[in-house]
Amino acid sequence: MTAATETLNPIQGGHADEAHGHDDHGHHASTGWRRWVYATNHKDIGTLYLWFAFTMFIVGGLMALGIRAELFTPGLQFWQPEFFNQLTTLHGIIMVFGAIMPAFTGLANWMLPLMLGAPDMAFARMNNWSFWLLPPSALLLVISLFVPGGAAAGGWTLYPPLSLQFGMGMDLAIFSVHLLGLSSIMGSINIVVTVLNMRAPGMTLMRMPMFAWTSLVTAYLLIAVAPVLAGAVTMLLTDRHFGTHFFKAVGGGDPVLFQHIFWFFGHPEVYIMALPAFGIVSQIIPAFARKPLFGYHSMVYATASIAILSFMVWAHHMFSVGMPATAQLFFMFMTMLIAVPTGVKVFNWIATMWQGSMSFETPMLFAVGFVCLFTVGGFSGLVLSIAPVDTQMHDTYYVVAHFHYVLVAGALFSLFGAVYYWLPKWTGYMYSERMGKFHFWWSMIWFNVTFFPMHFLGLAGMPRRIPDYPLQFTDFNTLASVGAFCFGLGQLIFLYNVIHTIRGGVGKAPANPWEGSHTLEWEVPSPAPHHTWETPPAREVVEKGLKEQLL
Amino acid sequence: MNTAAMPAVERDRANRRTAIKLGIAAAAMVGFAYGMVPFYNVFCEALGLDRARPELADVHAAAMRVEFDTNVSAGLPARLTPLQPVVAGRAGGLVKARFRLENLSDAPLGLRAVPSYAPERAGRFLTKMECFCFNALTLAARETREVTVVLLVDEAMPAELGAVTLSYTLFPLEGKA
Ligand code: HEM
Ligand SMILES: [Cu+2]
Repeated sequence: MTAATETLNPIQGGHADEAHGHDDHGHHASTGWRRWVYATNHKDIGTLYLWFAFTMFIVGGLMALGIRAELFTPGLQFWQPEFFNQLTTLHGIIMVFGAIMPAFTGLANWMLPLMLGAPDMAFARMNNWSFWLLPPSALLLVISLFVPGGAAAGGWTLYPPLSLQFGMGMDLAIFSVHLLGLSSIMGSINIVVTVLNMRAPGMTLMRMPMFAWTSLVTAYLLIAVAPVLAGAVTMLLTDRHFGTHFFKAVGGGDPVLFQHIFWFFGHPEVYIMALPAFGIVSQIIPAFARKPLFGYHSMVYATASIAILSFMVWAHHMFSVGMPATAQLFFMFMTMLIAVPTGVKVFNWIATMWQGSMSFETPMLFAVGFVCLFTVGGFSGLVLSIAPVDTQMHDTYYVVAHFHYVLVAGALFSLFGAVYYWLPKWTGYMYSERMGKFHFWWSMIWFNVTFFPMHFLGLAGMPRRIPDYPLQFTDFNTLASVGAFCFGLGQLIFLYNVIHTIRGGVGKAPANPWEGSHTLEWEVPSPAPHHTWETPPAREVVEKGLKEQLL
Repeated sequence: MNTAAMPAVERDRANRRTAIKLGIAAAAMVGFAYGMVPFYNVFCEALGLDRARPELADVHAAAMRVEFDTNVSAGLPARLTPLQPVVAGRAGGLVKARFRLENLSDAPLGLRAVPSYAPERAGRFLTKMECFCFNALTLAARETREVTVVLLVDEAMPAELGAVTLSYTLFPLEGKA
């Protein structure tokens, strides 16, 4: 009997613990709300993260629909421009920091200990803190809508001088970013220590699942750049209230300096939202192609080089601020260079599918959809990386199209894929494949209807972050708005499917419902018991899975 | 260090050590963010890059940026460098700028600087009181000289003009190159 099968009843867990000497995180037999507020179990915390992220996805999504409703026709219909700007700003902040990032952290919490054969995350109490900082910070953002002057309205990038001029909504946003940053740093420390120190015997770094690799590298990135963002917003705060002049030209500061600091954080940040997606897709595609991942080692090196390069390209967001030509050239070529490791990944995914016995269950659909559409986003990124082109395209809808291809069809689709892939493990039931497939195709179609026309709008010169536009942009905007509402509606199917699965779905799930999955999480029963791998998995179990993955 | 096989107490200690290192790294990165501030100033200064300036920040004073650009016609062994690439001008005020003019050849050199404005209409609001471009110049072999231009900004300068580029191109004197 492996540790996996000794299903510990949480009610008796307290006693079993003393024997194991787990004094660092005494998981009591908490029930009801206490189970969640005092949660230290990685699965409970993962669940909290995922539900929080979904809630924020809905909140941010409603704001996006507010934006698209206003842009359905030219002229001002629903909102004053000031409120429109608050919507775009909060939509960005909430989706980035409230939806995508917590969702990945939630997945890492749920899955890393299972995949690595560890009993829990390294620091269970700190884990509780990392999560419980999130709801207050989200609350701060929501409250900021109702204070005098309204929420921050200068875009999610918080550029001065605008961000120095707003009312207290901006201060609330700054505090919120502080809390979010702190939460990310603690969450990341937990992930790094868990991955580095707590792998099952036999699972060396170069044999661990790709999702563990990308989570590890992402966590390193966050530890490096979340403090930089915290520093930048702290400077904003002291410029606003304490008489410093970091970004105030009147006192000898420079608003452009903020852009440098922000994007030093900001570009690694976009990879913080992309790398875990790469990891997920690298788990799903081999499973449904029934072939080991092609080029595991090159995947690891590509992940690492993307992470390193991402510190050297930040000024491609600033081509139009007036940098010297040599600096523009440097950032232009470095940015183009990132496309190389990214290309390596795309080719590896395609090579994994090549001559595989593929089947297209919902997780695979989302993974293949990811590969197709993320590549489109990568290409538009390459177009933008050309400095002379970007001076034309900067701050137009072309950029909006670019980052929604990499973030919605990229990060978000990978998250949907991950949820469908691991839902049987989490709930013990199978989801409805029919509903899942419908969700995929619906999202795929309406995503493209929403965002593809934005390329044309941008090329034609429509600026981003405007509540009104000239008549010639009407058709594509109307189309995008229709697409957005349909896309949004489709996500309710996802919610329904998940709840349906939790309540029994279409039947019980076996320990491993997928033919081609060979990672350790499938060795424990479904639903995964509250405590797993209390003793590390046996060497043979580890080796058997690794052999199937040719590692 | 893989701690999976260690006894609980040792494992916790090893994990904590790793965590503390990471926490220190995070704290150091806050320092890095603040370090970017002086570094930015030094960097801009060292490379002669333009940065925001207090004298241009006061919107009520209707300040105008005057930027200087220089070119040398093909084959002319000379160099012209603005000593302050950007200066602030005010309606009714004077703008003074200095340039370094160098003869890079071992022979005397006769040349002339030809000015131009962008946007062109800005020329109307800037009157040259004194300019090294008024006369032909002759430089001795390897000579380096400082030259100046003094501009009077018209009272009627429209505030929305914002920035003006004054560009000088050096040409050889006819028949004396
Ligand atoms: C081949 C890879 C990529 C290249 C060459 C690239 C290049 C660029 C460039 C040059 C810009 C600046 C456009 C402008 O503001 O004028 C940009 C913006 C952006 N990119 Fe990418 N990108 C790539 C991948 C990604 C990925 C993977 C993500 C996120 C998952 C991402 C997210 C963003 C976002 C959010 C912005 C807009 C930021 C803002 O101004 O609000 N990009 N990209
Ligand atoms: Cu970037």
